[in-house]
Amino acid sequence: MLSHSLLPTVAVTDGGGLYYGNMIFTALVFIILMILIMKFAWKPLSEMMEKRANKIADDINSAEKSRKDAEDLAKQREDALAKSREDATDIINNAKQSAQVQSDQIITTARNDAQSIKTSAQKDIEQERKDALANTKNDVANLSIEIASKIIQKELKADDQKALIDSYIEGLGKQDAR
Amino acid sequence: MNDPISTFKLFGLTFNIGNMVSVTVAAVFVFLFVFICSRKLQVIPSGKQNLLEMIVDFTNGIVNTSVEGAKAKVYGLFAFVLFVFIFISNQMGLLFQIDYNGVAYVKSPTSDPIVTLTLAAITLAWAHFAGVSKLGFKDYFSSTYLKPFKLWLPLNVFEELANFLTLGLRLYGNIFAGELLLGLLSKIALGYGVMGYVPSVLVAMVWEAFSIFIGSVQAFVFVTLTFVYISQKIQPEE
Repeated sequence: MLSHSLLPTVAVTDGGGLYYGNMIFTALVFIILMILIMKFAWKPLSEMMEKRANKIADDINSAEKSRKDAEDLAKQREDALAKSREDATDIINNAKQSAQVQSDQIITTARNDAQSIKTSAQKDIEQERKDALANTKNDVANLSIEIASKIIQKELKADDQKALIDSYIEGLGKQDAR
Repeated sequence: MNDPISTFKLFGLTFNIGNMVSVTVAAVFVFLFVFICSRKLQVIPSGKQNLLEMIVDFTNGIVNTSVEGAKAKVYGLFAFVLFVFIFISNQMGLLFQIDYNGVAYVKSPTSDPIVTLTLAAITLAWAHFAGVSKLGFKDYFSSTYLKPFKLWLPLNVFEELANFLTLGLRLYGNIFAGELLLGLLSKIALGYGVMGYVPSVLVAMVWEAFSIFIGSVQAFVFVTLTFVYISQKIQPEE
């Protein structure tokens, strides 16, 4: 009787009775299982998943940052390129302008020079022609006086003769101008 | 229900040995599965870790549809253990059933109403506890039992009891029916020679597949309802 009350006896029944003891047992097993899983799997797994979430967030942020940096850099380079292009256009325009100015100057100078050379040449020619005419007049006057004095052997006033020659020369000049 | 069982009495309570063995075996399976899957955790998961994280994401998803924000973290572990335990318990009886002297010692623990009602009791105890700790006893009592008005008290009490019974017995009924039919099919297969063997094997294959599906769905339903009840208790009804 003593052993019967201390040690539980195993009986095979037809399953008619309810076994409330199993509720306690099942609840205990479930709670122990929960504690074990929390200790060995849940905590490390949660930590790992959180770590991963942080890492992904970091990666996304840094990717965003580097994308922005690259964008800024590209913008800077584009600006620099545009600026250098502008500079180049300016330089070319300046060069074109100064070349134009220079060429204009050269042409003007050349034209002026040519004009002055032409004018002085015309003047010289005119002068020489005048000189030559004057000389010729004198020469012809003298020569004709000599010839006349020699031929007619008679004295003649030089002044009258000269007037005669002048009229003759004038007729020559008109012939030239025509 | 009338299969023979082996029992013993302790402290005036009756214990069912076969049931205890089944529960323990299921718990050991669950622990081994989770333990093996959670070795060598890596930031970039692969293989078994992926499987484990998939289940965790799944149960966290169930929790998040009912319970919001910071609270959800507290319940994540409970949902995970509950889901894996019920899932493995449901499938266990489909894989094997060990009998000794006509007493089944290893089968689906969830094909026993005592086990499923215990799980339901744990769930609802936690739900009521969460309600009291969140709202205080007075608000908890009035929002649970005196809504929409005080006369509703008996109906509300009855509803809480119905929650407990339906949550436990739904799971039990589904799994028990699956095992019962499998047992019948195996009896047909062994009792009527080739004429019984061939068709019953074919039917049993179909039924096994259906039972696997039922077991998975019931695990999901149980965890989902658990968190529906918990969220009802911690959010005062409008």
